[in-house]
Amino acid sequence: METVFDSLVLGFSVALRPDILWFAFLGCLVGTLVGMLPGIGPLAGISILLPLTFGLDATKAIVMLAGIYYGSQYGGSTTSILLRIPGEAASVMTCIDGNAMAKKGRAGAALCIAAVGSFIAGTFGVLMLTLIAPPLAIFALRFGPPEYTALLTLGLIFLAYMSTTSLVRTLLMAALGLLLGTIGIDVMTGHFRFSFNIPELGDGIGIVPVAVGLFGLGELLATPSHQVVGDVKSPRLRELLPTREEWRQSAMPIARGSVLGFLIGIIPGSAHIIASFLSYAVERRVSKHPEEFGKGAVAGVAGPESANNSASTGAFVPMLALGIPTGPVTAVLIAALLIHGIPPGPTLVNDHPDVFWGFVASMYVGNLMLLALNLPLVGVFVNLLRVPYAYLYPLIIMFCLIGVYEVNHSIVDVWIMLIMGVIGYGLKKFGFDPAPLVLGLVIAPILEMSLRQSLIMSDGHWLIFLQRPIALTLLVICVGLLVLSATSFVLHRRDWRAKLAAAETSES
Amino acid sequence: MDRRSFVIGSAASAAALITRPSIAQDVYPSRPVTFVNPFPPGGAVDVVARPLAAVLEPIIKQPVVIETKAGAAGQVGAQFAASAKPDGYTLLMHIVSISGFAEVDKLFGRPVKFTRDDFIPIARFIADPMVLVVNDQQPHKTLKEFVDDAKKRPNGMIFSSSGLYGALHLPTALFMKAAGIQMKHLPTAGGGPALTAILGNNSQVLVSSIAASSAQMKAGKLRALACFGAQRAPAVPNVPTMKELGYNVEFYLWVGMFAPKGTPVPIITTLRDASRKAAADDKFKQAMKNLGQDVAYLDQAEFKAFWDADAKRVEDAVRLIGKLEG
Repeated sequence: METVFDSLVLGFSVALRPDILWFAFLGCLVGTLVGMLPGIGPLAGISILLPLTFGLDATKAIVMLAGIYYGSQYGGSTTSILLRIPGEAASVMTCIDGNAMAKKGRAGAALCIAAVGSFIAGTFGVLMLTLIAPPLAIFALRFGPPEYTALLTLGLIFLAYMSTTSLVRTLLMAALGLLLGTIGIDVMTGHFRFSFNIPELGDGIGIVPVAVGLFGLGELLATPSHQVVGDVKSPRLRELLPTREEWRQSAMPIARGSVLGFLIGIIPGSAHIIASFLSYAVERRVSKHPEEFGKGAVAGVAGPESANNSASTGAFVPMLALGIPTGPVTAVLIAALLIHGIPPGPTLVNDHPDVFWGFVASMYVGNLMLLALNLPLVGVFVNLLRVPYAYLYPLIIMFCLIGVYEVNHSIVDVWIMLIMGVIGYGLKKFGFDPAPLVLGLVIAPILEMSLRQSLIMSDGHWLIFLQRPIALTLLVICVGLLVLSATSFVLHRRDWRAKLAAAETSES
Repeated sequence: MDRRSFVIGSAASAAALITRPSIAQDVYPSRPVTFVNPFPPGGAVDVVARPLAAVLEPIIKQPVVIETKAGAAGQVGAQFAASAKPDGYTLLMHIVSISGFAEVDKLFGRPVKFTRDDFIPIARFIADPMVLVVNDQQPHKTLKEFVDDAKKRPNGMIFSSSGLYGALHLPTALFMKAAGIQMKHLPTAGGGPALTAILGNNSQVLVSSIAASSAQMKAGKLRALACFGAQRAPAVPNVPTMKELGYNVEFYLWVGMFAPKGTPVPIITTLRDASRKAAADDKFKQAMKNLGQDVAYLDQAEFKAFWDADAKRVEDAVRLIGKLEG
């Protein structure tokens, strides 16, 4: 403990230098903006600014670039809540209840909770990073293909608890997502599947065009077909802050989301989008009022928004402690460190303590800055809802088009988004929830790859999933969940899902 | 926002778009030059292209924009550049794997999207020899021990790679052929995951570039047994080359600059001169040194000769791996 404390003192002595503070602020500001604009994700933001850091020293560079990364997790919620467009992939879940809250006139509250939840989760993540990074990183390395397969199976089972519609509809959407996820090059054999000789389809269907199409565009297309006489309430200023009741409802989801997100974030290769999905499912499962989910449940915003933030912090654990990238964004950060002559790896803490601890300390400061940046902006952003639809919607469509094109500079992606927009419209009309489709699409390639990798490792023996302790534990949890729901089904207990189904039938 | 301000705003931005100054087009380059990076940000091309762009800008007196067009292991970006207007404003930065795509397409009976002839080589900037590494849980101290062990148990060890027919898979296939050994292949989604796999002992062997694995080698997590260069690499002077050990295998992770076929010779000459100056720039050299490599600059003629020989190695390796049934 003593050494951690000493190290943190060293870290803060670096992080609180005015020049470092300035670069942390710049990073956070850019990150917030980048997170708000759909399409320009943290990856693009960081790589565009990377050359600007060549003239800086390594600490400033990494502090600024990392600020963009975790800052974007704050900004991503804004467009999700106000316009139902995921600013970046990890904010998909926030669209559902966040936007529903906005329609009830609680946009300000949703934005505040998202910002505060992000702050708490981000700080929790940094705290964990400070205390237990090295042992955790070693643990994370034990996540090989079999562990992944088990984890994703668990994710799919959780899915059954997640949706706002009935179980059959959820599974239908998830299956569709999984099928769409098989498009692209078969990574094990190099054969093209369902790609019609379009090289862009060789990599499969991107998440961003699908998410923006289904959620953003689909919503817009559906608007003219129902009454739009000011059904979005522009909130008055004093209604911007969450009520005491809303704070109370979001406390536990934020705590759970923080822990869950961090644990998923440290596993190399996992996406924080999975963290936010799982958090949503958990919140819905433990909630006393699951029927509120999808209609503006506070927990549906607080949990996922916290989870994606602590996941983005968790992703730094393997990067800093082992020098291995957990995803594309950390890969760019590693490249940035390399270009500055600092090889990230197990020796980073000892070789460059000022960089390592300065970076960690700057994240404490950065999270505070982001809170200070985002809370006052809530009032500004909410005014967006006052813009009449006739002006707002064409602008949104333009942002969707540009944003989706920007991700890969690919016109194919734009077409995918447009097609998904039409599909999203259809799904909305028939009461299907698009979220499981997106999750299926995210999971499918990783699940397939890790399953087949596991079988390569074991020469085709399925026992490998039971021989490795972590995989076994995860699978036991899967079985437990299935048994639980089966028992309740057999006993015809009118559990919450039955009540929900009843509520649904009475509604329609 | 009321209607009037909306109209004024739209008109103003439209006017800004239309009245972009048109510059006389006589001297190349008269507008920004685009480098196509066919790999994700932070990848092998990005880390070379960005410092290069920074030193090229003052030389050609125009901004150099890096456009990421990742996809299909570098094929999408290469195809994009191959079909770009050959005016010197769209150039491609690519790595060793550019030579293999046509061969893989032929193998699968797919229409060949582009061949090496669609590009004019301009310059090579780095050429990092690959190293064969095992993780710290393996007993092998020398390549001989390793090969003997692998011969005793065919398919008993697993090697990871960045993907099928990728830059990490090809040299492994060549080495396995030369040494007469069999190992199982664990393809992953990129260089990072391939490294993660060996660190977590989900694979035991990896053929990697020195730059990508040097931090782990220094920390003792990975042990290099042999190097794929013609000579020993300065970064790992104690690691013998494959040739010293009696295996005729050579493989580099190189990065070069290409122009689409049909680019006029004067433009190519300008780019060659600019590249030569950039490669000699101390800032660029330092940036490459930080990455753990030395600038290995080759001008067009030598690069062309190197590329021809290298492409033969790559094509051999692709044919050696063959088509996998799926």
